[in-house]
Amino acid sequence: MSNRKRLLFWGLPLFWGMCLFLATLGLPWLEELFRQIAPGHRQVIYSRDSFALLLGNHLLLVGLAALISISLGLASAVFVTRPYGRDFLPLVTQVASMGQTFPPVAVLALAVPLLGFGALPTIMALSLYGLLPIVRNTLVGIHSIDPALLESARGMGMSPLQVLWQVEMPLAANIIIGGIRTSVTINIATAAIGSTIGATTLGDPVISGLVNGNTAYVLQGAILIGLLAVTADSCLDRLQQWVSPRMDSRT
Amino acid sequence: MIELQQVTKRFGNTLAADAIDLRINQGEFCVLVGTSGCGKSTTLRMINRLIPHSSGLLTIEGQEISQLDEQQLRRRIGYAIQSTGLFPHWPVARNISLVPRLLGWSEARVTERVEELLELLNLPYAEFAHKYPSELSGGQAQRVGVARALAGDPDILLMDEPFGALDPITRETLQNELLRIQRKIHKTLVFVTHDMDEALKLASQIVVMDQGKIIQQASPAELLLNPANDFVAQLLGGEDRGLKQAGLLRVAERMLPLPGPNSLDQAPAIQLHDSLRQALSIMLWHQCQQLRVYEGDSLVGYLPLDRIIRADSHV
Amino acid sequence: MNILPTDRVMPVLSCASLLSFWSLDFLSFQPNRIVPGTGFSADAALGWPWAFCMTALLLFIIAASFTRLRYRHAVQLVCLILLLLQLPLGLAGFSSVQVPDTLPHARTGIASGFWLLLFFAALMLIELQQKMHLSRLKILILLMLPLICLFWVYHTGQIESLALVREYTARSSQFQDALRVHLLLVCGAVGISLLSGFLLVSLMRQWPFIQKFIFGLLNFVQTIPSLALFGLLIAPLGYLASRSEFLQSINVSGIGWAPALIALVAYSLLPISRNIFIALEEVPYAVLESARGMGMSRVQVFLHVRLPLAMPVILEGVRITSIQAIGLTAVAALIGAGGLGSFIFQGLGQAAMDMILLGALPILVMALLADLLFSGLAGLFRNGAKQ
Repeated sequence: MSNRKRLLFWGLPLFWGMCLFLATLGLPWLEELFRQIAPGHRQVIYSRDSFALLLGNHLLLVGLAALISISLGLASAVFVTRPYGRDFLPLVTQVASMGQTFPPVAVLALAVPLLGFGALPTIMALSLYGLLPIVRNTLVGIHSIDPALLESARGMGMSPLQVLWQVEMPLAANIIIGGIRTSVTINIATAAIGSTIGATTLGDPVISGLVNGNTAYVLQGAILIGLLAVTADSCLDRLQQWVSPRMDSRT
Repeated sequence: MIELQQVTKRFGNTLAADAIDLRINQGEFCVLVGTSGCGKSTTLRMINRLIPHSSGLLTIEGQEISQLDEQQLRRRIGYAIQSTGLFPHWPVARNISLVPRLLGWSEARVTERVEELLELLNLPYAEFAHKYPSELSGGQAQRVGVARALAGDPDILLMDEPFGALDPITRETLQNELLRIQRKIHKTLVFVTHDMDEALKLASQIVVMDQGKIIQQASPAELLLNPANDFVAQLLGGEDRGLKQAGLLRVAERMLPLPGPNSLDQAPAIQLHDSLRQALSIMLWHQCQQLRVYEGDSLVGYLPLDRIIRADSHV
Repeated sequence: MNILPTDRVMPVLSCASLLSFWSLDFLSFQPNRIVPGTGFSADAALGWPWAFCMTALLLFIIAASFTRLRYRHAVQLVCLILLLLQLPLGLAGFSSVQVPDTLPHARTGIASGFWLLLFFAALMLIELQQKMHLSRLKILILLMLPLICLFWVYHTGQIESLALVREYTARSSQFQDALRVHLLLVCGAVGISLLSGFLLVSLMRQWPFIQKFIFGLLNFVQTIPSLALFGLLIAPLGYLASRSEFLQSINVSGIGWAPALIALVAYSLLPISRNIFIALEEVPYAVLESARGMGMSRVQVFLHVRLPLAMPVILEGVRITSIQAIGLTAVAALIGAGGLGSFIFQGLGQAAMDMILLGALPILVMALLADLLFSGLAGLFRNGAKQ
């Protein structure tokens, strides 16, 4: 790919990323504007924590949760599709699809009685919930591969690990990244609600604004959460296209 | 040499292969033929352990294969299947180089081998090496499949109905090429098909199977002459058997030396290595009773109709 | 002789149940709402004989896996239902022993061992459902046994000391209000988006070029987290409401039901219209052709052929949408829309765990019921199409 093409390809995520960056640093400069929105409040720019810190923390929560759910999700999906784990395939398939009927907020709320308040229960709840779309999509991805292809791979003398890494994973990559995308999108939204269980995230300004009736705070939080979600989604969208196996020599 | 002694495969309560005894010598072209579900594919797959055999001895060069390392064994055995099994995310060259890379060949040797194989299968390197399987026609993909099976320079080649999904013309071309390649490189081939014509054309040894058992094991000519039972006779096509047999015999075997009768000048021409079936067809078409036989451009003999029908007839 | 279990799933799950049953606190006791509770292990809570009976049931499930009996799954299912029956009875027993009438504020609680046992039992139930190829309805009917038992112990006042029940009794009218609001919002959102979904799809079928734009827009909306969308709606709605007498008269403002409903509809539109679109597009052309060939009018073709054939996919859209709306409505409690979410967030604010449960558990049940209802309906239509 030429530099220009690459730039165009990553253009949309770059644009949203820039917007997020500018908003994080620039929102405090728009004090006059926010004063119009929330007249009668002495302070109209959220200042308990800097936006950069909130963004960083939000990203950290989602990132850690994603790391856990990707590794656990891939591992369990791979386990149940190997000969030694096949017993568990129906159960895991069913749980992965049924689990997604549970609303993420309810899962987050139920984490509190079991694990308490703070960042750790939030990460636990996020990674547990984020696991499901990844497991599901990995299973769909692996099962969408023609069995004859896998048989011929074994027939050529590839080891099970070689079949997994060189054939199954590349061919399922597109669908797997799709699952990661769903998982991360849900987790960014749920992490924002994590403010209510004591995690420091971009949801803080929104919650605090709602409690104090300060619309300016709500708006600042909402803008940043929205931009973060859109940036992450477009990044993963491009990543999905990028890892999709090439099956055509024409470019 | 591949040797099966009382090899049996059980799937639950069904016997997919029932006490198979089979010996395939070095350089032989062995074709397993039978209706679908007769156990021919199972037998083939037991040879490279894609299906482990339940009991009996299955040896290659005297070594019981269940004692060998599964992957090492398979890398020594070429494998081609009907759906080609080419990896859609790899270009042709990468697909072919799979086994050499698994065997740890040097990069230069791998490239050389890929070029050599593409040439052997009449696929120009420059045009095909970088194409993806989705861009190939059925015949081209199957050629790549055969090239991939040959890539590691295996002694044994297993083929499971490789030409089953191709149109008749492409199939015939590929059959001819497989014969040409076999004459050139002398591999041991085990080939599965349900098409008796294909078996008669390709095989040096035909194994007819039914319900997991070997019914008859013979050379094509023997099979045609003495089918073991009605089932084999039916597989051989009943009344077409004579023509099929003629298809196995070469003009060279029945040709008479020159000079022939005076009327020979108007007779149509045929090549020395053509089959008697082709000779008969030409005679029927031209409504004549003799042919001039050529080797290349030079006239070497003649073939009268009587000699096609009986080898001991003298004109 | 093969001594390996014929499948490893049930033994593994059963062992996990045993482990959580014996190693973690099973139930807990609080003298009043504020004091932290003390945990009771299974044998302390239920007494030795009872705890051993439950252990025996679990061991029996493991043992059944090692046999080659034809009906071993059915045996396991019976054991499992018997085990589930013990849970409400155990709660009742524990309450009657631990809470004397002299302590009207004392509460019994469910501890982690109990929850985990319930979780693993649910997994075993799913596994058995798959193994025995039972429909979800049959499983539900079987589950009625423990549920009826639960209702019975509740109705006869045997578990009135259970924290969740105490919490509910204190707020029963509030709870019913919240439930009503929650259902109204969900049904309203799904209903409105179903209607506008049909409208949008017919527009898209009329002018195909807007299709990409509309789906792009809806996709974009779907990406925006709920908290952000609710927040973004407050300012403009508040502004409009302050300008319009009419909006004020119907109680619209920056917070409350209005932004919640708007956001819910915005989220629901994508799955609904995507499924309607796909469903209507995928009806085989030959079927439509032959319907028209037999002299059906356009309206008849739509009502009698296209719509019934498209129904399963449309219902799948309704299923996704309603599950999503049930969860999002919980979040909408943050902007004052009410609903069961208000219990969750109040409970979080007061660190009152049982209040969180009072909000979260009904939401889970609602989502599961919606899933069951709409996938069942879709199945019905699919079978109708087969016959």
